[in-house]
Amino acid sequence: MKTQTNRDRSRTPGSARYLVTCALLALPMLGQALNRAPTIKLFPTTVLEEIKHTGNVAKEMETGLQTVIGRLDEQQKLYGDSKCEGNEGDPGCEQIARQLGKSYLEMLDIMADKLPAMEMAVNTTSSSLERRIRKELGQKKTPWTLQELLIGEGAARKGAERPALRGRSGLRLSDRFNQYYKLVAHSGGQVNSSLAVIASDIYLDMQETSRLIARTREEISRATLMEQLNQSFGTITPEMQQVVAGVKAILFGDQDDAAPLAAPPATQADKEYESPLQL
Amino acid sequence: MNRSRPFALAGALAAAILVGCNSTPARGPECALPQGLDLDRALSTARFDLETGCEARFGAYFQRLLAIAEGDPKKANRARFSEFLVWANEQGLLSKRQARERYNRYFGVKYVSLVGDYSVCSQACPHRPQVLQDMKQELADKEQGLLKVSADPLSYHRASRLFQETELVLEATCTACGPME
Repeated sequence: MKTQTNRDRSRTPGSARYLVTCALLALPMLGQALNRAPTIKLFPTTVLEEIKHTGNVAKEMETGLQTVIGRLDEQQKLYGDSKCEGNEGDPGCEQIARQLGKSYLEMLDIMADKLPAMEMAVNTTSSSLERRIRKELGQKKTPWTLQELLIGEGAARKGAERPALRGRSGLRLSDRFNQYYKLVAHSGGQVNSSLAVIASDIYLDMQETSRLIARTREEISRATLMEQLNQSFGTITPEMQQVVAGVKAILFGDQDDAAPLAAPPATQADKEYESPLQL
Repeated sequence: MNRSRPFALAGALAAAILVGCNSTPARGPECALPQGLDLDRALSTARFDLETGCEARFGAYFQRLLAIAEGDPKKANRARFSEFLVWANEQGLLSKRQARERYNRYFGVKYVSLVGDYSVCSQACPHRPQVLQDMKQELADKEQGLLKVSADPLSYHRASRLFQETELVLEATCTACGPME
């Protein structure tokens, strides 16, 4: 799993001010979106608010963890640079390992503190979306009308602008939710077709995130105990490294998996032949 | 009596020869698939054969016509195949529904694999892997019809994108529908 570098972190817009600005910019668009209500109701205001709230909770957790994860990265680098691997008996190495262990415990504490709120926010949003998707796409649509929705009315005649799907990872958690919020709020008059895809993408992403959070929570108490024991020996376990990498993957994304799900939108160049057999 | 025997034998032989010639069955159509590179000629050969006893091989003729059309891909080919299928319907070789399905399977962006009157939760979700498999097969047919025969990459990419989006939306929707009783 790829770890996040300081350069990656410094690239990310990292302040609450950014979120507030985005939210303020998005509000007029949201108004438009609500005025031009789509015929399928996948994103009522409540769901939009839940997405925004989830983004805020994720931001809070990231902010809390960023310092300690940065420190962990530095300590781990120092441990490697000092050629401590395979040289665990060295007093200097033991000291670095203990410091690393302390930072790790600190990270676990913060996670244990913040994860329940994050889990609740993700699960609430996921449940709301699940209900909307089940009703609007699962029960109201047939397979045929679903594909008609996806292809979009008039899509054969004009190049439809569609959101680029970014897959289910590759971004910070808070940025992902911020992006979701903007995508939905900005969708305005477009696009039931795009909304169905966005809703599906968000929903599946939240399901995955929820599973990861649940698994991480289960691991935290066990990992804490293990590390408390390890403190007396001053060693870095592979498990520690794995947990840190897992936390980074949830919060800061894994850039290796950032490939888009679908190809860029296609546009129609000239007038289409229409067969009398065309469905 | 004895003198008449050679005449009788000769008459019988002649009759046998005549009967033998007459009983050779009339040659049926060979139903040999059209050859060559000229789609128009292949279409008229196919029409002739299909209305003179080769209708059981309609599928094979259609495939051969597609293969011939691949040799000269252009958008106008789509209209040729449409006319051919309309003709096949008028000749009673295909029902209207079959003609529509065949045309859209190869030349339409939408998927005939997704035809259905019941809800997504009740119809598509219980058989999602099969539905997606059928769509994948249909996408291969669209690749032949839209890309290789009609030289229409934009429509093919739309069909391809529709497949990807349907896959994603079905995954989400079927998860949201929950397990079916």
